[in-house]
Amino acid sequence: MEFLELIRTGPAQAKLLRGPEAPPLRGILCVTGHHLLLSPGPQGTSDLWLLLLHVAGAVSYDSGTITLRCKDLRVLQLDIEGVEATLDIARSIEALSSLESVITSFPFFYRPKGLRLGDAWHFHPPERYYKRVARETNAWRLSEVNEDFSLCPSYPRAVIVPRAVDDDALARCAGFRQGGRFPVLSYHHAPSGTVLLRSSQPLTGPQKRRCAEDEELLRSVLAGARPGAPGFILDTRSAQAAKQARVTGGGTEAKAAYPGWKRLHRPLERGRPLQESFVRLVEACGDLEKSMDGWLSQLEACRWLAHVKEALSTACLAAWGVEREEACVLVHGAEGTDSTLLVTSLAQLILDPLSRTMTGFQELVEREWIQAGHPFQLRCAHSAFSHARPKHEAPTFLLFLDCVWQLGHQFPLSLEFGEGLLLALFEHAYASPFGTFLCSSEKERCLCEVRTQTHSLWSGLNQPKVRRKLRNPLYVPSPLAIWPSVEPQSLQLWQGLFLRWIRPPEPSQVAWEKVWQRLASKEKTEDCEPTSKPQL
Amino acid sequence: MASAPASKYNSHSLENESIKRTSRDGVNRDLSEAVPRLPGETRITDKEVIYICPFNGPIKGRVYITNYRLYLRSLETDSALILDVPLGVISRIEKMGGATSRGENSYGLDITCKDMRNLRFALKQEGHSRRDMFEILTRYAFPLAHSLPIFAFLNEEKFNVDGWMVYNPVEEYRRQGLPNHHWRITFINKCYELCDTYPALLVVPYRASDDDLRRVATFRSRNRIPVLSWIHPENKTVIVRCSQPLVGMSGKRNKDDEKYLDVIRETNRQISKLTIYDARPNVNAVANKATGGGYESDDAYHNTELFFLDIHNIHVMRESLKKVKDIVYPNVEESHWLSSLESTHWLEHIKLVLTGAIQVADKVSSGKTSVVVHCSDGWDRTAQLTALAMLMLDSFYRSIEGFEILVQKEWISFGHKFASRIGHGDKNHADADRSPIFLQFIDCVWQMSKQFPTAFEFNERFLITILDHLYSCRFGTFLYNCESAREKQKVTERTVSLWSLINSNKDKYKNPFYTKEINRVLYPVASMRHLELWVNYYIRWNPRIKQQQPNPVEQRYVELLALRDEYIQRLEELQLAGSAKLSDPSTPPSGPAQRMPHVHTHF
Repeated sequence: MEFLELIRTGPAQAKLLRGPEAPPLRGILCVTGHHLLLSPGPQGTSDLWLLLLHVAGAVSYDSGTITLRCKDLRVLQLDIEGVEATLDIARSIEALSSLESVITSFPFFYRPKGLRLGDAWHFHPPERYYKRVARETNAWRLSEVNEDFSLCPSYPRAVIVPRAVDDDALARCAGFRQGGRFPVLSYHHAPSGTVLLRSSQPLTGPQKRRCAEDEELLRSVLAGARPGAPGFILDTRSAQAAKQARVTGGGTEAKAAYPGWKRLHRPLERGRPLQESFVRLVEACGDLEKSMDGWLSQLEACRWLAHVKEALSTACLAAWGVEREEACVLVHGAEGTDSTLLVTSLAQLILDPLSRTMTGFQELVEREWIQAGHPFQLRCAHSAFSHARPKHEAPTFLLFLDCVWQLGHQFPLSLEFGEGLLLALFEHAYASPFGTFLCSSEKERCLCEVRTQTHSLWSGLNQPKVRRKLRNPLYVPSPLAIWPSVEPQSLQLWQGLFLRWIRPPEPSQVAWEKVWQRLASKEKTEDCEPTSKPQL
Repeated sequence: MASAPASKYNSHSLENESIKRTSRDGVNRDLSEAVPRLPGETRITDKEVIYICPFNGPIKGRVYITNYRLYLRSLETDSALILDVPLGVISRIEKMGGATSRGENSYGLDITCKDMRNLRFALKQEGHSRRDMFEILTRYAFPLAHSLPIFAFLNEEKFNVDGWMVYNPVEEYRRQGLPNHHWRITFINKCYELCDTYPALLVVPYRASDDDLRRVATFRSRNRIPVLSWIHPENKTVIVRCSQPLVGMSGKRNKDDEKYLDVIRETNRQISKLTIYDARPNVNAVANKATGGGYESDDAYHNTELFFLDIHNIHVMRESLKKVKDIVYPNVEESHWLSSLESTHWLEHIKLVLTGAIQVADKVSSGKTSVVVHCSDGWDRTAQLTALAMLMLDSFYRSIEGFEILVQKEWISFGHKFASRIGHGDKNHADADRSPIFLQFIDCVWQMSKQFPTAFEFNERFLITILDHLYSCRFGTFLYNCESAREKQKVTERTVSLWSLINSNKDKYKNPFYTKEINRVLYPVASMRHLELWVNYYIRWNPRIKQQQPNPVEQRYVELLALRDEYIQRLEELQLAGSAKLSDPSTPPSGPAQRMPHVHTHF
């Protein structure tokens, strides 16, 4: 097996330092194809299993010490006997944790007890979601025009489009939108009869090209909605950036070409600046030695909470348009795979009570992020610790999770799931034994046979024992929209994530544990492991 | 759509919610006039005004003034706004605009409140409507300046429990296991002759005679001698509180004081040192020598170690809170919120107070060393430190009644100068004696309750209610500066206690997640990363900051409480059934207090 070539070491004596509170763990260290194993010996109860995928790019070592920086923001220090052994282990870890091939990655080997391959991959949200839409309105249809991914490589096979537009027209629309991402339905708001759409930018270019079918598609969206409904195009770039995009073949919808549609610009930060903000925040949180006098201004300088605020207020604007102005809203930026999805998915959480349930939220993530073609493989490869500055890395999905956490913080009764689910999604998006977040699009997942060869995270999370722990005990269903406050005073640092490994063991986890023990006492508590994922 | 600012998203209908919520609890509403009135409350006047709401603009309304409150109801049909403000909250009343002022709503009154808000009313220039309202408000908001009684003495409310019975010093010391071999209860201060700002009953070392105490008193600022606040149930180390020694520039010494501290040290056999925490910054302690004060130098006090805790004085705290108000009311600072918050230093002060208390608690609990805590006079920072340390060490104080006892003991009976710090009924708003020291303590408690969501029996509303009535003057609890003054005014006979209101409706103030744990020491994290601004208190008047409407949350809490009680009851039934089966005559039946901690392990 090829992994063997990368493992340069046999077992070695090692000591794991676990912060100032916990005692160090001593034992025998082994490196396997996918794991780092530290076993304290036969009498020891707690083995350390660390999935090598969790190790972020940076492994620094000097004589006898290896510092592992993990993608879930944890930092571990290993003291190893022997300089030679240290070097060998470090090199092995580095090589194994940076393997890029998808089909040799751990999800393709992971076979947990109690789960069957293929389970929960029947989560086909576009189709499932269409069933719901079809009950509410007749104006939309499910199109399989992208069945072989030829029209749009980043869309799933089936998409929901206006009934009045046929597949040929869709094909021409695809030619007019970057990456073939023509406007599709994201959410149908039954009370107002209007919709939320998403796409990529139109390819108007310097010549200000137009596309009759694209214009017709948007016209029929308005025609299919409540009569006289206005349309809003919410561009997640500044007006100037949208204009500049014409030079490289992109652009934005011309007013004259789309009667009834009004354009709004709400610039959202993306890509590199967002990643840098994340890195700075993690550095600030981990920097325990530095004097804490400037903590708040340091936090402000990271700008992470400013990004949270911008994302939430743009989502509020989109939701406001749909619910209050009873308008159809089309959201796009340039590629339509990042901030576009951030806005449409958050707007749905604000508006749609179903998306705030445990199942509904999982479906939302699957439909609006995974199947909608957010390039997880590129965006969530390294997390915050990386020497190189990977070009495509960006914590857009984490920003989404943070915004959801803020919603849950402000509306403690309104989400059926608790912080635990958000933390799990963060962890699994960056490194996971499950296949759900592998690859960057449905097309790639098909090529790699992800569905048949790996387990779905959803089946892992929905095992009764696990699922129960992810629930919010305060949840009470409510049909109303939840409008978050976006004032900076209302937005908090997500301590559960960013200070997870820094704060002392007590707070919320233990507290919730106690609450749960109380609430769940009817059901007999078995000895539950959160996931079958190896635990620290 | 484009014009809809994001900040308005949640403001719809919440304004009404938030203001309605401020109506006080336990109030009998007189339906004929629909203005709430307490027994003993009399109506003085009413007037049509325009309330200039900083969030929703001018609102026409009628204001009713009684000898207790200012109550405003809007006259506009589309807005159900209600303001219900106890006059005790008012710190300052100013006239704005003159007879010749032009411009809409530029003539009227501007009222500054002690609870982080201002109220503005516009009045008609004709007639004497403003003069009347100004004079009436001034009269009843500042009764002391007009030889009128504070409302608490007029209040005729009746409750089915008597809050004055909550704190009985003898019982509280007995709960701590006192007196014992080393500590005795003394009545030397029965007539407040030893120290007029201390309580009548004190706990002092057994080996110190009353004459010793008198001699020590001469060497301590305002005679506030070192006395016991709390004793550790197991290792018998103690927290002792006092004021600064009167060392002065010449470095005076007092053999009796030195001996007295040594006697305190000797009550603890485990460690040969006594630790003294001086709450002040080192430089301030040195500067105090100039005015006759100072600190215990180690050449005079052998076997002691002295630490300074760097907590600033009342003036610094007052200015800091003023800055907080500047950035949250009426408009919250938007663009540089975090750095503005940082520049108020409020959270930094909270951090220092908490850090100090943690050190005290840790020294006693882990260090097994007795400690002495003082600042200058020993009634501000000292009270903060001892009360917080006791809250960390002793789970009894984390229950509703326990907390009431803690406040009653460490703050009220030991002479925190509530009257001077708050300025009850006093018109001198710029008095340099005013300072939010008690508010800061409650903020620290809130920070702890955030970090340990299951450790406290009370909820946030309990803390906010305490703060509201700190100013309201409806109850006698926080009136006057010390026990001797309260006794002279017969406060317990002539006024109602705040604890009567709270204890007669305890469910409202209960934390549904409370898990009673005995002997667990809480060490909160006092790092800036883990401290938050208490938004629900400091910014509660701003409707845009509101989070989920409180009603459903509380509703849900109540449901959870009911659920919890059901489980506890079932558990007790099971245990009864179990112990009946196992019936072992040699073991006495355990009281509920001992059974409780098993709750979580059992399920």
